[in-house]
Amino acid sequence: MECALDAQSLISISLRKIHSSRTQRGGIKLHKNLLVSYVLRNARQLYLSERYAELYRRQQQQQQQQPPHHQHQHLAYAAPGMPASAADFGPLQLGGGGDAEAREPAARHQLHQLHQLHLQQQLHQHQHPAPRGCAAAAAAGAPAGGAGALSELPGCAALQPPHGAPHRGQPLEPLQPGPAPLPLPLPPPAPAALCPRDPRSPVACSAPSAPPGAAPPAAAASPPASPAPASSPGFYRGAYPTPSDFGLHCSSQTTVLDLDTHVVTTVENGYLHQDCCASAHCPCCGQGAPGPGLASAAGCKRKYYPGQEEEEDDEEDAGELGAEPPGGAPFAPCKRARFEDFCPDSSPDASNISNLISIFGSGFSGLVSRQPDSSEQPPPLNGQLCAKQALASLGAWTRAIVAF
Amino acid sequence: MFPKLSLRSMFHGAGGGNDIQWCFSQVKGAVDDDVAEADIISTVEFNHSGELLATGDKGGRVVIFQQEQENKIQSHSRGEYNVYSTFQSHEPEFDYLKSLEIEEKINKIRWLPQKNAAQFLLSTNDKTIKLWKISERDKRPEGYNLKEEDGRYRDPTTVTTLRVPVFRPMDLMVEASPRRIFANAHTYHINSISINSDYETYLSADDLRINLWHLEITDRSFNIVDIKPANMEELTEVITAAEFHPNSCNTFVYSSSKGTIRLCDMRASALCDRHSKLFEEPEDPSNRSFFSEIISSISDVKFSHSGRYMMTRDYLSVKIWDLNMENRPVETYQVHEYLRSKLCSLYENDCIFDKFECCWNGSDSVVMTGSYNNFFRMFDRNTKRDITLEASRENNKPRTVLKPRKVCASGKRKKDEISVDSLDFNKKILHTAWHPKENIIAVATTNNLYIFQDKVN
Repeated sequence: MECALDAQSLISISLRKIHSSRTQRGGIKLHKNLLVSYVLRNARQLYLSERYAELYRRQQQQQQQQPPHHQHQHLAYAAPGMPASAADFGPLQLGGGGDAEAREPAARHQLHQLHQLHLQQQLHQHQHPAPRGCAAAAAAGAPAGGAGALSELPGCAALQPPHGAPHRGQPLEPLQPGPAPLPLPLPPPAPAALCPRDPRSPVACSAPSAPPGAAPPAAAASPPASPAPASSPGFYRGAYPTPSDFGLHCSSQTTVLDLDTHVVTTVENGYLHQDCCASAHCPCCGQGAPGPGLASAAGCKRKYYPGQEEEEDDEEDAGELGAEPPGGAPFAPCKRARFEDFCPDSSPDASNISNLISIFGSGFSGLVSRQPDSSEQPPPLNGQLCAKQALASLGAWTRAIVAF
Repeated sequence: MFPKLSLRSMFHGAGGGNDIQWCFSQVKGAVDDDVAEADIISTVEFNHSGELLATGDKGGRVVIFQQEQENKIQSHSRGEYNVYSTFQSHEPEFDYLKSLEIEEKINKIRWLPQKNAAQFLLSTNDKTIKLWKISERDKRPEGYNLKEEDGRYRDPTTVTTLRVPVFRPMDLMVEASPRRIFANAHTYHINSISINSDYETYLSADDLRINLWHLEITDRSFNIVDIKPANMEELTEVITAAEFHPNSCNTFVYSSSKGTIRLCDMRASALCDRHSKLFEEPEDPSNRSFFSEIISSISDVKFSHSGRYMMTRDYLSVKIWDLNMENRPVETYQVHEYLRSKLCSLYENDCIFDKFECCWNGSDSVVMTGSYNNFFRMFDRNTKRDITLEASRENNKPRTVLKPRKVCASGKRKKDEISVDSLDFNKKILHTAWHPKENIIAVATTNNLYIFQDKVN
């Protein structure tokens, strides 16, 4: 694949094309957008496979440096954000085309990679003052964070609780499909594990909560790891100045680009926050996080100017679409329902956002794989698909929405 | 002893695209470099006799050129094409329900075979197909009893004798009138129309559906192909072109964005979702790139006049398929393989989405298609030779033989060669047409129409 542009640039160019096709005379050209979506898929596949290869290498290095028990903690720690089993993860993320080899690695391997990805994000958060919320939530929820993703956000975020639980300490357990429409109360360890992600109060948060073992080693382990590379997914969000007075650390936070108004909205989905705080005192709760969590769909808004487009485009999500294998269960209902569930008191922007209909919805299946092996996968349920989408967009990309 | 063959007939016998020397004949259109968008030519089509040449543009206009009757004495050149009729075929529309603007650009023109004195053609934009009647008027009635020549009524008291009007010759007037309007049958953008060999029906194809119409009936059409998935999120391919078989009125083909062609038989079922034949060439894995899907999308499909073969055009090549062999084309011609390493920048500037058309000559021995830098290419199927020519005003002396061009892909550039990097990608030839009987070709650059003919002795 000889190309002068790297995958990221291709992705941003493709998104720009899709965006501009909305305003072109004659309406949206289905053919051209379909072709662009194929390029998006190809670029995303390459990007992800490169990322994971890199992360795997890094993880190998880290594993040599760290004591073994930390490893386990890492897995448990990062588990909430990695609900998918390898079977779900592999073909979707790395599937299609010539990435067959990437599908082979064991689930543990991939989870390690994902875990490393989260660590990278966390490290990056250390480096960049803007709090990015729980890395797990950010990682999983962030990809949902495009304008279009706002509809997916609740779905993906919704996975956190139900899948966080079964995965506690069992990172290899396959994704639990269950519809889980509402956040389940997490076992005490979970919130504690989540809290330390806040770069500002890692220690304080972990103190009052149980399994103390989980949090501090994870937090402690992070700094010694190699510094997050500039290409880590977290960097995409570096350009967004999230207001620091937001106690966003314990909530999943996604950034949404509204292509109609060009408003960038950082949306906070607070149910995780709620769960986090539900279990114990979490100092982060008292830090001005808006409300008890659930209601705060409002986020900071930053007017997006054309001049910033270059920057913005780097962060636009390639991703997303098409997490659904052809003939799979309807994905859209999952997204929309959850959005309603979790953001009842939507911010004024939500009406704008909810007016936007993703042209790809759950995407063309062409984005998933050229010859999807839907027969090999269990019948996808809504929750499962949301997880796939989250993982598909790992890298905290914001997503562009196109109205049809 | 031996009959003296003229050069011309020798060349015609060989049918070789390269043995022919192509000469500049005419160029139509504005000279200035500043191209008005409405003047961009969007389709070119000869009628069945070749006497008429129609062009459609982005502004919704149709311009028809007519060939002068060949001057038998001056046989050194064929008749020139001069403007015969100009009319506004389509206007921009607005779909209020969907808040969509509908472009007036003429996507395709197809001529009906001539049945009487008038000519008929179908022209289409994204949503609506129109049947136009082009008729000549060269006589008019004169000498009315009660009216003056200018139409005013005469004072009845001055009428003392009976006068019967008679037809007298007048200056030729060509009128175009819309006879049928076939509307509201396509949700997506129409990309093709094709008239059936029964001359009663025709098909229109958009991205996801193909409809069958009767030329006389405008208020309904039959849907014969529908590839829209139940869930639009599962869409993987769209229809890019469709054409009826030239001889079998039950057979048509449609090409897809995935590089496949499906041949359907309308006798098999009312809805031809299941193809009778599927023409597909396996992808070469060594050529895989980010843009493999884009460059394999077929932009045009044309049956040969014989009906035995069909030709498809994708971004980099022209393929000839034998209808009896589905697993691969019988011939493949590389149009501009040197662009394969430039796909990235072509993607950035949107050129990779250009839809090139292709055409056969009258004897199906040569195929032609366009390229960039106002180059166009011809491939002789018999001699396997190809030639690259340029449509440019620099050679605008009539009967100037066109010089073959060459693009240098890499390495040392020879004299007279053009390097890939100096190609002008804004000058593209998307539409070409070949006279059905003679070696006359019409080549459309952005806003000019070039007519070339072979050198006559």
